[in-house]
Amino acid sequence: MNRRHFIKNTVPAAVSLPALVNGFSFSAYGSSEHALGRMFNGAAANDHVLVLIQLSGGNDGINMVIPLDVYANYYNARTNIAIPQSKVLRLDGTDKSGLHPAMTDLQNMFSAGKLNVVQSVGYENQDFSHFRSTDIWMSGDSTKNRFDRVKTGWLGRYLDNEYPGYPDAYPDSEMPDPLAIQISNIPTLKVQGPVLSMGLSITDPEKLYSFVNPFSDYPLTTTAANKELRYIRVISEKTKIYSDIIRAAYQRANNLAAYPENSLAHQLQIVARLIKGGLKTKVYTVNIGGFDTHKKQVNASDTTTGNHANLMKELSTGISAFQKDLELMGLDDRVMGMTFSEFGRRIKSNASLGTDHGAAAPLLLFGKHVKKGILGNSPEIPADIQVVNNIPFQYDFRSVYATILERWFCVQQPLINTILLNNYQSLPLIKGGPCGLPDDIDDTNNLSEKLVLKMYPNPYSINATLQFSTTGGHTLIQQINTLGQVVRVLTNQAYASGTYNIDIYGDGLPGGVYFIRLQNQSLQKVISVVKTSQQ
Amino acid sequence: MDRRSFLTGVTKKIPATGKIQDTRYRNTDSGLTAYSGNWTRNEISHLLKRTMFGAKKSDIDYFLGMSASEAVDELLNAVIPSPSPPLRDYGLISDEDGVLHDDKGVAQGQTWVNDYNTLSDPVVKGSINRLRIESLRKWWAGLIVHQNRSIWEKMVLFWHHHFSVQVEEVDNATMMWKHHNLLRTNALGNVKQLVKEVTIDPAMLIHLNGYLNSKQAPDENYAREMQELFTVGKGPDSAYTENDVITAARVLTGWRIDNTYTAYLDSNSHDTGSKTFSSFYNNTTISGSGQSEVSDLVDMIYSTTEAARFFCRKLYTWFVYYQVDETVETNIIVPLGEMLISNGFDVKPVLSALLKSEHFFDPENQACSIKSPLDMIAGTLREFNVPFPPYTDYINGYPLFYAVYGKASAMQETLLQPPDVSGWQAYYQDPMFYEIWVNSNSLPKRADFTDALVEDNVIDYRAFAGNTSNPADPNQLIDEVTELLLRYPLSGNSKLYIKNRFLINNTGNDATWTNAWNSNNNAVINSSLSALFKFMMNLPEFHLC
Repeated sequence: MNRRHFIKNTVPAAVSLPALVNGFSFSAYGSSEHALGRMFNGAAANDHVLVLIQLSGGNDGINMVIPLDVYANYYNARTNIAIPQSKVLRLDGTDKSGLHPAMTDLQNMFSAGKLNVVQSVGYENQDFSHFRSTDIWMSGDSTKNRFDRVKTGWLGRYLDNEYPGYPDAYPDSEMPDPLAIQISNIPTLKVQGPVLSMGLSITDPEKLYSFVNPFSDYPLTTTAANKELRYIRVISEKTKIYSDIIRAAYQRANNLAAYPENSLAHQLQIVARLIKGGLKTKVYTVNIGGFDTHKKQVNASDTTTGNHANLMKELSTGISAFQKDLELMGLDDRVMGMTFSEFGRRIKSNASLGTDHGAAAPLLLFGKHVKKGILGNSPEIPADIQVVNNIPFQYDFRSVYATILERWFCVQQPLINTILLNNYQSLPLIKGGPCGLPDDIDDTNNLSEKLVLKMYPNPYSINATLQFSTTGGHTLIQQINTLGQVVRVLTNQAYASGTYNIDIYGDGLPGGVYFIRLQNQSLQKVISVVKTSQQ
Repeated sequence: MDRRSFLTGVTKKIPATGKIQDTRYRNTDSGLTAYSGNWTRNEISHLLKRTMFGAKKSDIDYFLGMSASEAVDELLNAVIPSPSPPLRDYGLISDEDGVLHDDKGVAQGQTWVNDYNTLSDPVVKGSINRLRIESLRKWWAGLIVHQNRSIWEKMVLFWHHHFSVQVEEVDNATMMWKHHNLLRTNALGNVKQLVKEVTIDPAMLIHLNGYLNSKQAPDENYAREMQELFTVGKGPDSAYTENDVITAARVLTGWRIDNTYTAYLDSNSHDTGSKTFSSFYNNTTISGSGQSEVSDLVDMIYSTTEAARFFCRKLYTWFVYYQVDETVETNIIVPLGEMLISNGFDVKPVLSALLKSEHFFDPENQACSIKSPLDMIAGTLREFNVPFPPYTDYINGYPLFYAVYGKASAMQETLLQPPDVSGWQAYYQDPMFYEIWVNSNSLPKRADFTDALVEDNVIDYRAFAGNTSNPADPNQLIDEVTELLLRYPLSGNSKLYIKNRFLINNTGNDATWTNAWNSNNNAVINSSLSALFKFMMNLPEFHLC
């Protein structure tokens, strides 16, 4: 029985989990469901590892993946920082986009089928704050009201379902190692679990620790003091236990590939050694900063050089060395990596040779099991670029997460929905093999092109008709403004396969350019429309 | 099949994955009514560890003779002489070829703050700039370990966290000095006035690109962070729009920095058009001379009640606790915000009301803060009365002050270099907040630090013990040492364990210690006390304040 498929088709479109809405805990439900799912399917716990590379500060996505098919508009929007067309690195099998000239290593990985590019990843109602947007990416929750937001990370929720009862119940015989390791000075929200961060922060894997055995009673009855004391006691205890495990693993292994001299490479070097050393840890996170390039993103004399170019090179050479190391260690079957940044940058550059905060941006997945290719189209770039113009998202970042959960961590529905707090379609980014799933959706871009999506009249002033087609199932259409914010949800429900019309009357929106985004399962299409001011 | 998960999934206690459970919140509805309860070492220690770096026994004794209100008044109003500026502590500077150069602008032992680093050989100007920045940090760390009985130094650090200017971005010692001096001078001043001055402070103009902001291509960096981080924030009642960010950027176009590191308005780069804001700001229009527009903009922002509340939440998180739930919002933040407005945005009356309140001294708000690295380092050094040369002693003092800020830096609190434009995560990153200071990476560094204090005889633990009222009595000694070092108390059993293990060598006989102490048995006293103090400072309780 293909239980996954069965459930997928019976889950109502756009599930908003009732348990969540009512504010109840849902992890017990999730866990038992998960265990049940494993019993049904006989899926063994897998040994897959995810490495997350955070690009802090907001990566200028369209100078990383340069849109060649709309190059004139791209160039016009940012003449002082644009990468010259002739310098853009071509990607095997496509003319639509190419890579930053500093990324030759990643160009080669793409040719070898070990790199996937997802275009215009973002979320609705883009928050242009570094901090809020980082929180959104890490928690997977973009709820406006801060009192209603979850305070856990998406990976924290995944790990909590996989390994319930952390921290008290661990380590145990089946998970003797840290659940997640962050190569950083401080823990971040993405591995935050319900009780405690599921991650261990380290910078020196060989550090020796000497802590006293803490007392265990709580003479005070005050909640806050007891919460903090318990926290420090647990950290002290876990650090002691896990540090021995980490040190031993680190010392058991050696890197087999040569790494460049930079911070990202050093971090990835540690990760490779720890995996080779035998840790069963599921998630590693590493970080590079410096992406907040408001100024001096490029050198005026040569826009292919400068701060952003250095970062692109660090990213490219670091990932490539890491991948090579894993291959030499014979571990490339088990490891997949992903980059992410809190947002992309503004399409139009500023006079400081830089770019301000923006909206959607491409992200990269790498490893043996990713699908080769670029998912999605080059972003829409208006010819008469304005400072407020932003790149609308083609893919919700949680759809990328859903893909990783389903096709890399082999999590099944409805648990994926539970972890991601809502229903996000998975995307064809990872081959089916690792989780024993069929490779059934190879032709996504072509199928997306074939979807009907048009609005007439266009421009419109008060009324318009939207025509769209769907292959059936969950179909979502959003209207997005130039800031990349969703201003209307035009439909969000299950349809039978076919072509439909929706009439729009006096929508009350201010005049200007809008994007209409259609998402039907993993297929998506975006068109731009113009609304003239109502008189 | 994953048998473990299946079999244990139902029996293991599974915590809620979604929202934090209500039981994790404090159960308190105390408000701003003036505190009139017990005034003992416990309450004084609470007040001092929150408002200063560490609570010295001599300071606790001093405040025992006052009321809570008088103590807070003294902390807020003590006259603090302005410190003399940082000094050149470095000698000759080597260039890449090993040739030595002098800093021609200023002699060793003199202050560099009025010199623009123009006279020396260009090959070493960069080095000179960095050495000056280092001396500024040493000087600041010196002022922290030498702090007066006052809240001043904690407020200087608060403002640094609040505006979060990073030296790596500014890369100019003189501008960093001017910026620091602005915060230091106004540490207990007027928040609205300070925002106006910081907005066109050269270091801030560099840090958030104001100096590049021009009408031809507005740079929104400062306009955005100003609203999000410095003034109104993103609380539930904040409703400024993306367009308000763009508009504020236009208001702020044209500010430039001259050769003397003074800001001026370049009218050619300033957008002289009228700038209209959203209804959140009452559809205010700002236009006219650029000079007064900064003031108009800040006035407009502070005409919202949310701006006053946002600031009070930041103070609350700095001094009390990080959970600003709805009860705290109603009982504390809203009235404090009103107070800030009615006092024309002066900070002192608000701090006074907060620190004198029942809420501040509520047991629910005690022992629940986690020491920042500087609390840990400077606070512990101060509590053990470790002697330091005066902060002006660049020969003997600066190297020691370097150690203080360097250790704090290794534990993730670097003076002049907060991790990002919103300051230290411990004061804003939900849900961990203060807990971020203690993790598997930093805890070993903290333990190494306190171990070294004992092992390298940095602290005189014997004098510390001798300063208690009856050190020969092991029970009294442990009671008093615990009370001085730990905000979270130890149970009778824990104290008994400490006594048995460290003072009476599991003999069951208190006289073992009493005799050793009274007979001045150095070997026993020193080995007992060094082990005891190492243990006490290694306890999780020691990190709470």
